[in-house]
Amino acid sequence: MTDPSTWVDAYGDRLFRYALSRVRNEASAEDLIQDTLLTGFKSRANFKGDSSELTWLTGILRNKIFEYYRRQAKEFPLSPSDEESDPDDEFFDGRHWAVAPRDWGGEPALKAESVEFAAALRSCLDALTQNVARAFILREMEGVTPQVTALALGVSPPHLAVLLYRARMRLRRCLERTYFAPEPT
Amino acid sequence: MSMLPSCREVSRLLSEAHESGRPLGMHARIHLGICAVCRRVLAQFAVLRHGAARAPEEGPSLSSEAKARLRRFLNG
Repeated sequence: MTDPSTWVDAYGDRLFRYALSRVRNEASAEDLIQDTLLTGFKSRANFKGDSSELTWLTGILRNKIFEYYRRQAKEFPLSPSDEESDPDDEFFDGRHWAVAPRDWGGEPALKAESVEFAAALRSCLDALTQNVARAFILREMEGVTPQVTALALGVSPPHLAVLLYRARMRLRRCLERTYFAPEPT
Repeated sequence: MSMLPSCREVSRLLSEAHESGRPLGMHARIHLGICAVCRRVLAQFAVLRHGAARAPEEGPSLSSEAKARLRRFLNG
């Protein structure tokens, strides 16, 4: 293992980018990095070298991100009345799409790997309510299982499904407008 | 009334199937067979997950002040 005093220069920026893409606030991202480096420092005897130091520290950071959202959900519990009203009224007119989703052009999966996509996603996440954003970040960005996500957010699995549906629909529409298929001006 | 689910219903079923990994029911699959827009949304949910789950390789960096603060912190 390398000297922990070199970690900030070696891994700081990459850990920060990861944290910032998940917590949406620079001060919180920096706090998470500080906690991550401290935990890494204290538990460095546990590092077995099976993965790279960066992967190991990222694993610690991901636990910190999970705890961050679990704490937030406890401090600011979801309000069911906000999120359980019919979430698809804004997308549909009767049985059909109010505005039909557009084609995202060639190779959208490749386009979703770009720096510009990451920036557009960040801005679209900012437009979601906290509750919907938390659900999407834990489930889709962090890959936490539905059961554990629901438990961490203090919601029932059907409520989580509603939050995720709303997140996917709003992000889909926002990314279409701002990144994948903006209307010509 | 049609036996087939509407676009409104199918969009919810797509999100749920995306979530559970379980296959869509027959009526939803028939709807997808004839509705190009809902097929597009199915693909777009997958693109969204693909892009969102990635660790960003480029983008903002820690400020030099934040790095100095973290170095001081690690050095006790």
